[in-house]
Amino acid sequence: MAPTTLLIDKHVRYIQDLGKHTDSLAYHLTAHLRINAVYWGLVALCVMGHPDALDHDDTLAYVMSCWDDDAGAFGAHPGHDAHIHATLSAIQILAIHDALDRVDVPRVTAYILALQQPSGVFAGDAFGETDTRFLYIAVNALALLGQLDRLDKDKTVGYIRQCANFDGGFGSVAGAESHAAQVFVCTAALAILDRLDVVDVPSLGWWLAERQMASGGLNGRPEKLEDVCYSFWVLSSMSILNKMTWIDADKLIEFILSAQDPEGGGISDRPENMVDVFHTQFGVAGLSLLGYPGLQDLDPVYCMPASVIDRMGLRKGWKALPRRPL
Amino acid sequence: MAPVDIADSVPYSERPEWSDLTPVAQYENIQPLAPIFYNPDYKDATDYFRGVVKTGELSPRVLDLTETIIRLNPAHYSAWQYRYQTLIATKSSLADELILTNELTRIYLKTYQVWHHRRLLLTLLNDPLPELPFIEEILKVDVKNYHTWSYRQWLLAHYNREDMWVQELPLVERLLEEDVRNNSAWHHRFFVVFERGGADGEDTVRQELAFVKEKIALAPNNLSAWNYLRGILDHKHLPYSTQADFTKLYVVSSIALNEESVVDLENPRPSKGAQLPSAAAIEFLADVYEAEGESGLSKAVELWRSLADEHDTIRKKYWEYRIREATVAAPD
Repeated sequence: MAPTTLLIDKHVRYIQDLGKHTDSLAYHLTAHLRINAVYWGLVALCVMGHPDALDHDDTLAYVMSCWDDDAGAFGAHPGHDAHIHATLSAIQILAIHDALDRVDVPRVTAYILALQQPSGVFAGDAFGETDTRFLYIAVNALALLGQLDRLDKDKTVGYIRQCANFDGGFGSVAGAESHAAQVFVCTAALAILDRLDVVDVPSLGWWLAERQMASGGLNGRPEKLEDVCYSFWVLSSMSILNKMTWIDADKLIEFILSAQDPEGGGISDRPENMVDVFHTQFGVAGLSLLGYPGLQDLDPVYCMPASVIDRMGLRKGWKALPRRPL
Repeated sequence: MAPVDIADSVPYSERPEWSDLTPVAQYENIQPLAPIFYNPDYKDATDYFRGVVKTGELSPRVLDLTETIIRLNPAHYSAWQYRYQTLIATKSSLADELILTNELTRIYLKTYQVWHHRRLLLTLLNDPLPELPFIEEILKVDVKNYHTWSYRQWLLAHYNREDMWVQELPLVERLLEEDVRNNSAWHHRFFVVFERGGADGEDTVRQELAFVKEKIALAPNNLSAWNYLRGILDHKHLPYSTQADFTKLYVVSSIALNEESVVDLENPRPSKGAQLPSAAAIEFLADVYEAEGESGLSKAVELWRSLADEHDTIRKKYWEYRIREATVAAPD
């Protein structure tokens, strides 16, 4: 029997235990995503109403141990090279703990701005890979640090425009196929930059609604399989465009819940598969946006607890479904 | 991710040629989020890698070391980056590196880093033509792989060579022959035909309309093809009403189709056994009626109603929204 309610206690325990399976090969092969995993876990815990399930002091000490003093930004794990993705996760974790005063803001800002390319896109690190993911990360991080004024906004928006496709969606680089995750990063970056006028809202809203399959789950591109992570990529974009009412919320909730592991906790990409913290976070985030009862609000623009973004005065005009009563 | 079997290789800590280097262990003393590395091969190699980075060594043995790490963990971006720096510093053969990268691309085609490394190599080698058959071979492993496609699009845009562009439509046609629902192939077709600039005159538009309609006839519920049809019309600012006669063939159930009608090449009929009516066709025809203004409104509403109640019930709320918007906006 697939679960029909959110197994919050199981998921909290699952996330708490993530740092303990350190003898598995998979654990250290994912060291390059470690700080991201802490962020995903922490946001899921906040949304489930357990923000203190990870120790406050340990978490902050861990984040600060990821600082790469040569580069002036954060790496994914102690001793790892700085990367823009790790840097955003560090900033997000610190912001949730109201501890941004620990960040060397001028150095991090300089690190991020230096990654912008002449086209307006951002590289992820010194290796030079470019992608709208990194552009969104830069915009999000600069906004959280209160440094958005330092960004060349027109140049940044200009690159997003180049990634717009004939179907209303956005790709990872100019010329690439529309993909729900890339739609999220472009839409959310435009929301932070107050430039949603760039979006062809009717086409994109419809393209997003079209992602729902008969199972209730969402896919990321036409004629592909559904996956729980799109519950975040698609729904966050829809909530930013205020189109959340266009899909069947009950069926999607049912789909996400059916992808839970009822024994060990955690959520997987689709029912019966292996769980991971990434899909756990995006499943819980999707449920929050769908108004699932008992959850805290998630800010889809920054993928952060809404209370944190509200406290920082950074809220943009998004709209989730109303919270259902318990 | 399956661990790579390197059981037969000697650990770096036992190799005499590495005895001059001091390995640096992963900094590990913070709980509860800190790992302890138990896998000896990976720990051994990454300890030596940290040692190499610390001394700044760029030498041929670093190529061996980074290859070991990449084979164990292809997402280790620092190993890739350091490998690239070392290749340049040691003036190693980039052609040989591309041969190795071919093998790594086949194994790790879902990894961002392997594609970026490839792009860096190509930028220096400047020999893009052999890349096209290689990519097609990689597409056979995973025909919708996002990295593979965006790499191909980068190559085309970056080099912008006629001898490369001419290979693209035959490729797309081969792939759509295998799977008419391959959205990546449809996207690529639009990229090649309409986004290259200069080659989308009237003949091209006629040809593309004929092509997509023929593919819709094969699979009338294929969203990718309908999106392509809309894409052409939007791109060329042609009214949807130009396709009304074609669309009407797909909004009825198959039984209602008259088998005896004359073959109309402009408006190919649904193939035998096709699932009808097509929700995408109903949606398209409703858009045609809506664009007619007040006179078409009731027909549009009727079609939307059928989508909401019967043919696309999962998006019922969207169709009800369309009805509401259109009827509220209509003049009294």
